[in-house]
Amino acid sequence: MSVLHVLFKVADAEYVVPAADVVQMESFTTATFVPGTRAHVAGLVQVRGQVVPVIDVRLRFNLPKLEPTLDSRVVIVKDGARTVALLVDAAREVVRIPPSDFHPPPEVVSRQSKGFVKSVATSGNRLVMLVDFQKIIGEEPNHAE
Amino acid sequence: MSSPVDLRGFLAGFLGEADEHLTSANANLVAVEQSLAKAETNPRAVRELFRSLHTIKGLSAMVGVEPIVEISHAMETVLRMADLASGRLSEDAADLLQKGLHAIDERVRALAKGASPQPAPESLIDAFSALEARGTSNGGGDEIVLEIDAALASKFTAGEKQQLASAAAAGKRALRVDFTPSPGRADGLSITAVRERVGRVADIVKVVPVSIPESEASPGGLCFALFVVTSAEDGVLGDAAGSDSSGIVAVAHRPRVEPARAEIERDDGSDAHRGTFVRVEVSRLDEALECLSSLVVTRFKLVRAVASLAASGVDVRDLSLIVGETGRDLRDLRAAIVRTRMVTVRSLLERVPLMVRGLTRDSDRAVKVILETGEAELDKSVAERVLPAILHLVRNAVDHGIETRSERLRAGKPEAGTLRITCSQHSNTELDLTLSDDGRGLDRDAVAKRANRPVPESDAELLDLIALPGVSTAGRVTTTSGRGLGMDIVKRIVVGDLGGALSLETEPGVGTTFTLRVPLTITIVDAFSFECGGERFVTPIGAVEEIVEIDPAHVVRVPVAHGGGRDAKMLRRRGEGLPLFGLSGLFGLKPASTGPGKALIIRRQAQQYAFEVERMLGQQEVVVRPLEDPLVRVTGVSGSTDLGDGKPTLVLDLVALCGTISSREEALA
Repeated sequence: MSVLHVLFKVADAEYVVPAADVVQMESFTTATFVPGTRAHVAGLVQVRGQVVPVIDVRLRFNLPKLEPTLDSRVVIVKDGARTVALLVDAAREVVRIPPSDFHPPPEVVSRQSKGFVKSVATSGNRLVMLVDFQKIIGEEPNHAE
Repeated sequence: MSSPVDLRGFLAGFLGEADEHLTSANANLVAVEQSLAKAETNPRAVRELFRSLHTIKGLSAMVGVEPIVEISHAMETVLRMADLASGRLSEDAADLLQKGLHAIDERVRALAKGASPQPAPESLIDAFSALEARGTSNGGGDEIVLEIDAALASKFTAGEKQQLASAAAAGKRALRVDFTPSPGRADGLSITAVRERVGRVADIVKVVPVSIPESEASPGGLCFALFVVTSAEDGVLGDAAGSDSSGIVAVAHRPRVEPARAEIERDDGSDAHRGTFVRVEVSRLDEALECLSSLVVTRFKLVRAVASLAASGVDVRDLSLIVGETGRDLRDLRAAIVRTRMVTVRSLLERVPLMVRGLTRDSDRAVKVILETGEAELDKSVAERVLPAILHLVRNAVDHGIETRSERLRAGKPEAGTLRITCSQHSNTELDLTLSDDGRGLDRDAVAKRANRPVPESDAELLDLIALPGVSTAGRVTTTSGRGLGMDIVKRIVVGDLGGALSLETEPGVGTTFTLRVPLTITIVDAFSFECGGERFVTPIGAVEEIVEIDPAHVVRVPVAHGGGRDAKMLRRRGEGLPLFGLSGLFGLKPASTGPGKALIIRRQAQQYAFEVERMLGQQEVVVRPLEDPLVRVTGVSGSTDLGDGKPTLVLDLVALCGTISSREEALA
């Protein structure tokens, strides 16, 4: 039994999140800036009338910022009552990966990635990383609070 | 609403209801026509007919069936005139109403078949307008109102009434003349003689015996009321009837318009709604509010489109008028929906006495609760949010504010303490909730000592202090209140969540009063929009005391003792120096222009602050959506709104921002 995953790119690596947790994907041009938020919060976008915060996954992963391109996407994920958009370099594929293909990442990688990478799988001849998006969108208080 | 399925579901409901009201309208029109045939009036049926059409109009407006709205509106106008004339309708009016109902019926049927209804027939609408014009040109002056005691009126036939009314309309007088027979009468008149004598000077329409209290003048306890039509003088008539002019009363007069109109209004308000309640899930109301919100957004788009048309040289005067009209309608609709969401403060607080009884049951104190809420109402969502804050303050007052019985007696106070909750509307948009106890008051020295801070001088400073997380107002820990948790939460609810204000008054030995100023509703606010740092923002106008042009000659630089790179400025205004902050600088944005901008003057407690923005854009109503995700919950931002471009625009809470600035400066100092 394989599980549908949404595949996205950040820098030169490919990541997946379970499709069940993804609400939709949208192209991205700009977000409304919110002062006083953490650096990796790109701002707000309106998706189907709902206002959701955008996390710039590059900045979250300590990678250099990239100006939005035609390929830029926001992957909108849902975690309980929260809906958050992940800004990624590109996202256009959905892949099927059997759960048995996932393996825990090497311990060093796990530590280096601050736990953002939950497990690793090969899909075809590509190495993809399953991200812990709950951790990416994790609640960390803003400066002002 | 956008999907066809929804609309069909809605339409089914509409068809059902429209049918029902059409049936009742038809029945009432038949009743009106029957009365007409007997030369009677039937004000009740006219009013019912009016009501049915009014409802049909409303329903049709809701589902957007404009032809029916137009027809029913025209019919309503004629019926309103008939109502003013005590239900008198001309035959052509009744004919036209019949045609109107038929036209509505046709269109409802078309809708039921899934066809789109024909536009309203112009000839019909014109005919209604003509009728209306005729009605207003003679001001309804021919209409006569009969004033006969209800008990007597029932004895009259329609023809008799008509006789009185039409004589009056023809310029004669319709009068009631009383004759009291008595064996002791000096003139020895009997009713038979009176009939004959009056008949010579007037047309007698009816004679009704009326029982009256027995007296010397009327040993039989009986008098006769003669209803007559005459052109004779009172004196002549009085002579004929053997009574003086005080026994002569006019029974027909031309109506005054105002009371009649008031009647239709009052009628609508009482009969239709009294005792009729519909229980509605809050989620449905929210849905309606949501739709309303998107309507507000659509209107922004419309306004923009009109503006850009105007900019390209198109004549948009007509369009602007219509846009203005939709704005007013939208406001009314908003008010109507908001009203349905209101709950009374009384019902909100009804559990307070019970709670207080529970808190004092096993204690050595007695507390009397007085609720003086009047008829004040709050939006349900505000009520739900503010309730925990109120309950918290109640608990504090009972546990810490009010002394024990013996303490109170020693202090010369009544044994039982009093907790009074009152509310009063502060403005059209805000409500003041006041909780006062007659307890021991707050001990500012003790609070300062526990907080490890200097003793606050004013009540406002004391409030700031007790609202710090972890500072307790209590001298001791109790099971119900615990220690140190609380006022910070109350303040967060009232100030942070609701955008209201919290204030405190306390006097040792006398008592403590908290005042919570909360908005009646939190969804839509009037806001200024402005630009700074290349971004657009809005802020509620309620928070802005003034907007001033910044004259560079009035800006002075202030020495900064610490904090690298910050530049502090002061704005001279009316002989005072206000701290001036560039909003773009505060937000870490690059100012988009360097020219002198505008300053928004904001007051927080006693201090005014000036925030520099680059450009004011305008003022409009905005729908505020709270930002709930922790990632974007920051002080100074109360929510976001859509100004019509499909992008979120931040709603700034500049008062809260003043708060952070002042506490940051405090921390640095």
